[in-house]
Amino acid sequence: MDLEARITQSRSEIVAWVGSHIVPHEARLRLWLRGMAISEDEVNDIVQDAYVLIARLDSVAHIRNGKSYFFQTAKSVFIQKIRRSRIVPIGHLTEIDAAVLSDDDPGPERRLSARQELDRVRRLIAGLPEKCRIIFEMRRIQGLPQKEIAKRLGVSENVVEMQAVRGLKLILKALETNDNGDGDARKRKTETRFEVEKNG
Amino acid sequence: MDKGHPDYSAEYWAIRLESAPLPEAEQIALEAWLAEDERREGALLRAQATLSYLDRGRALSHGVPAAANSNTRRDFVRYAAGGVAASLAVALGLLLPRDRQIVTQIGEVRQVPLADGSTATVNTASKVGVHFEKAERIVRLSEGEAWFRVAHDKSRPFIVEAGDVRVRAVGTAFSVRRRNSSADVLVTEGIVETWIVGKEAQAVRIAAGSKAFVSRDAGEIATTPASQEIDRSLAWRTGELALDGETLAFAVEEINRYNAKKLVIDTPDLGREPLVGYFRTNEPANFGHAVTSLVGAQMIDDGNAIHLTRPIKDLKKSNL
Repeated sequence: MDLEARITQSRSEIVAWVGSHIVPHEARLRLWLRGMAISEDEVNDIVQDAYVLIARLDSVAHIRNGKSYFFQTAKSVFIQKIRRSRIVPIGHLTEIDAAVLSDDDPGPERRLSARQELDRVRRLIAGLPEKCRIIFEMRRIQGLPQKEIAKRLGVSENVVEMQAVRGLKLILKALETNDNGDGDARKRKTETRFEVEKNG
Repeated sequence: MDKGHPDYSAEYWAIRLESAPLPEAEQIALEAWLAEDERREGALLRAQATLSYLDRGRALSHGVPAAANSNTRRDFVRYAAGGVAASLAVALGLLLPRDRQIVTQIGEVRQVPLADGSTATVNTASKVGVHFEKAERIVRLSEGEAWFRVAHDKSRPFIVEAGDVRVRAVGTAFSVRRRNSSADVLVTEGIVETWIVGKEAQAVRIAAGSKAFVSRDAGEIATTPASQEIDRSLAWRTGELALDGETLAFAVEEINRYNAKKLVIDTPDLGREPLVGYFRTNEPANFGHAVTSLVGAQMIDDGNAIHLTRPIKDLKKSNL
């Protein structure tokens, strides 16, 4: 166990893990925080601080459920804030406790299917202004290197980079509100029912 | 702050870090930027992780969507474009031979227009014979796998023969993967009918979003709903393998279909590791690299094959 704990993951592994286990739940977390009458500024602060705490992890191998880890981290950030401000809004603490508990285990059936997740990513990219969108499609979907994109579009690498930064800013903004479709779980079940006709 | 540098932001650094290792001066600028506000560390992680998240959008983004749901404008536009392509194919069809053999090499995936306006997308190491007659359109899959988008023609059913397995469609889209005496049938649009030669009475219909394993030995043909799995199963059409928790052993078997240089798993329990992600089918070494970081394996390329093993330190550890 001790040995295990000492093994640190490379940063790129952590980035990839956060990309697939934390980022998809950000909108849901924000929704949950807003639901407790926390101001938008405070929500931003809490989410940002949660990312800071995650960024300081040496390894994420011990985290079994990214979503509940993210929620728990945000919760502890919030509690710290309340303690520091020394004003405990009545009801806040019990509310977050209840909410976190019910969110503790999203369970396998609430996991997003690859398909839904891809749909969401596709929508995010499709929503970008045209120049950004083209560059994002070439880079993220076709996997072309920046240099190649610049060549194909006949612009400098600098221009590609600037557009990529602009696009990423817009997508991060969209991720704050654009839910990942967790709530679709019920809808999905009815969609996958089929009638099989038999012949003869 | 020095002048002349771009507008530093978490997004800027995330993009910069992605394209190449930073030159030393920029590395220093990045560290200074991070040191200015402790929260920037989190913002940078968020921006980088989002880029990584977006990379999951590969494969399906330009694949053909399943028939189910989504009426977005985008899909509409794509279907409309498909229609144009189909009618163009019909026009070209006059020039295409009515009998032909399509053979793909290992690693080759080909999209072939057929004489009736249908298209066949033929996967790696496959053999497909096309025989169009007045009353029916016969396609013989003697090896491998293919996905068909069938042009509507009520008077001439489109029949795929895979050994003793038969799949009949009028106007629809589906794939057939031959496995010796049996076949997997996946339907992406419309309805197909499938049966075993000699057991025509037990033919079964498969609707869009479902699949069936058809085998003489299996008795009754069972169809299973698989709408979410189908897009992933057909990712090969864009040269990708899509995994959502399948084992490394499964992934290696799939990737090996596309490459002469094979991947070999040397530590059996490694093969049971689940994987999630999109991988190019024709880049076994890149796949190996990804595996080394995803499940903590070690990769050794001995020239003939690419071996995947548990690193020695882990073996030692488990002996402790």
